[in-house]
Amino acid sequence: MRIILMLIKKEFLQVFRNRLLISILIVAPLVQFLIFPFTADYEIKHISIAFWDQDHSTLSREIIEHFRHSSHFIDCGFIDSEAEKEEALLHDHVDFILQFPPHFEKQMVRGEESQIAITANAINSVKAGIGSDYIKNVLTGFFESKEEGTPPSIKKMTSISINHIHWYNEKMNYQNIMVPGILVILVTLIGSYVTALNIVREKEIGTIEQINVTPILKWQFLVGKMIPFWILGMLEFIVGLILMVFFFGISIQGSTTTLLGATAIYLLVMLGLGFFISFVSKNQLQAMFIVFFLFVIYVLLSGLFTPTEGMPEWAKWINFANPMSFYMDIIKLVILKGAGLREIASQVLILSGMAVGINIAALLSYSDKIN
Amino acid sequence: MSVIQVQNLNKSYNNLQALTEISFELHKGEIFGIIGPDGAGKSTLFNILATLLAPDSGDVSILGMDLNRDYKKIRKEIGYLPGTFSLYPDLTVLENLKFFAAMYQSGIRENLTMIMPIWRQLIPFKNRLVGKLSGGMKQKLALCCALIHKPHILLLDEPTTGVDPVSRREFWDLLAQIKSYGISVLVSTPYMDEVTRCDRIALLEKGRFIVIDTPPQIIKDYKGKLYALKTTQLFYLLELLDQYEENCSFYPYGEYLHISFYQDVEQAVIRFRDFLNQNQINYNSFQEITPILEDCFIELIKKNRDVHH
Repeated sequence: MRIILMLIKKEFLQVFRNRLLISILIVAPLVQFLIFPFTADYEIKHISIAFWDQDHSTLSREIIEHFRHSSHFIDCGFIDSEAEKEEALLHDHVDFILQFPPHFEKQMVRGEESQIAITANAINSVKAGIGSDYIKNVLTGFFESKEEGTPPSIKKMTSISINHIHWYNEKMNYQNIMVPGILVILVTLIGSYVTALNIVREKEIGTIEQINVTPILKWQFLVGKMIPFWILGMLEFIVGLILMVFFFGISIQGSTTTLLGATAIYLLVMLGLGFFISFVSKNQLQAMFIVFFLFVIYVLLSGLFTPTEGMPEWAKWINFANPMSFYMDIIKLVILKGAGLREIASQVLILSGMAVGINIAALLSYSDKIN
Repeated sequence: MSVIQVQNLNKSYNNLQALTEISFELHKGEIFGIIGPDGAGKSTLFNILATLLAPDSGDVSILGMDLNRDYKKIRKEIGYLPGTFSLYPDLTVLENLKFFAAMYQSGIRENLTMIMPIWRQLIPFKNRLVGKLSGGMKQKLALCCALIHKPHILLLDEPTTGVDPVSRREFWDLLAQIKSYGISVLVSTPYMDEVTRCDRIALLEKGRFIVIDTPPQIIKDYKGKLYALKTTQLFYLLELLDQYEENCSFYPYGEYLHISFYQDVEQAVIRFRDFLNQNQINYNSFQEITPILEDCFIELIKKNRDVHH
């Protein structure tokens, strides 16, 4: 017991003398919370649009005027040829080109079919998708406003209106999804990075040898390393929660205790993973690359940016080895949906299993002899 | 009584033979020095005895315990100072000492008297970060940390490498004191002048012990008669001597040339003087001297290389 207490004390002393580590622990959550939620936003503003009017009719001009008045679009003027169109898209001058064919107005008035071509610069697929929807909405809105003069073909198009209601996030506020997601990233980063670099550093400066020749047992060493970083991770999480509730005004629908309990278990998984990486790495650079590699996969598969339900079958299988996706589930369910322990039981059980497994692996990979 | 017994110890890394048929005993309360050039296998031997490295073959018993089976128990009884400094640079002197005392479950207070001669020198710096200490101070602290649990055996792997001459002498004075507590010390060094302070010495060359004895006995066993020649044309003479066909060995020693003759020494010396005169070598002095340990080692290493080539 005295050994473990001493190890914890020593670890805290070192953490608080490591200015870089301290600044990471303080700055990382602030930066992530104060910048990321405002930038990671699927709501697209500032869509630049150019017009190619081959009709030069009253109708086409009216439509263009309508677009110019919409706050979503930036008017990029007119183009006049196929070459200009290609040029504008190729150099990313515009996101969309709205093209009115010759005789557009005439055909519409006669009640014949006519088409407006929407060309999207799909380099940014999200922008292209959402932007097209906006454009359709603006067009529909335009023809609705001119109901009396609407040709039958357009009437057909606008006769069904779809209303979206977003449950658990009524205003479809992206921060409500992003902020809990960042909380997950924060805990993951602190848990895995800091620990992965820790033991390998002792290897680099040789202190691990001096530890190994003492009668200390492997599990004592691991526990003594684990507790300080577990405490730090929990503190980071609590700071994150406070920021979430008071700065972003996102209230926790479920129980805070459940949230803390799940985080406690998840941290054990991440700390164990960090230690495992640290034991098998030869230097800090190597450890850092392994963590980075895993982290990117975890984040992309976690469901923060793209829903896990849409992933192919094999990716779902990979995700079973991704503790972050289970934790992301828990966090979203508890914070946004108010899920209780019963609803997240399977995720908590899986994380607990992972925690046991990875920590046993870490213990086994720790050799108190020179390899 | 011996506290360490090593018999026919072998260790290789991949295909590189690091230690070959090492056998020796460390007696209770002696300072046993291991001297050898870099790469001779000193650190490998220390890592094995410190239970950090498993030997390929051979028997090692420490305080009657088997190295492979009882290494956990052995760890309680030995103090080890690795070849590279390995205390926490971001902890203070006192914090390091407290930490390692706790790792051995031993108190600082009850053992302070033993480390007092060393600790006294560290007290003014006790709240300084270890990373900011001088090399000599670092080694003294490392010694304190290795002694804080009253080990029976102290393993010191090149404790004075990179330490200034004054601190080195102090360090050896401390070892003499440690010895007086009945602690057996196994110490390695690349410095010739230090080994004279050991009770016994082993010379390690290319993974083999080529001699184990007390310093006076090693000098006594010196084969041949040693002469020292002082000349300003040392390098020219060394070139000439490449062609000199006589049963002798020679090597530069500072501004002197040391030459050792083995048979029929009087005649050999006369022939050598003739050789010098024929080649018009001017020399200030040429006389017989008593060999020191260094001469003995050079002699032994040369002989060993001849045998193994």
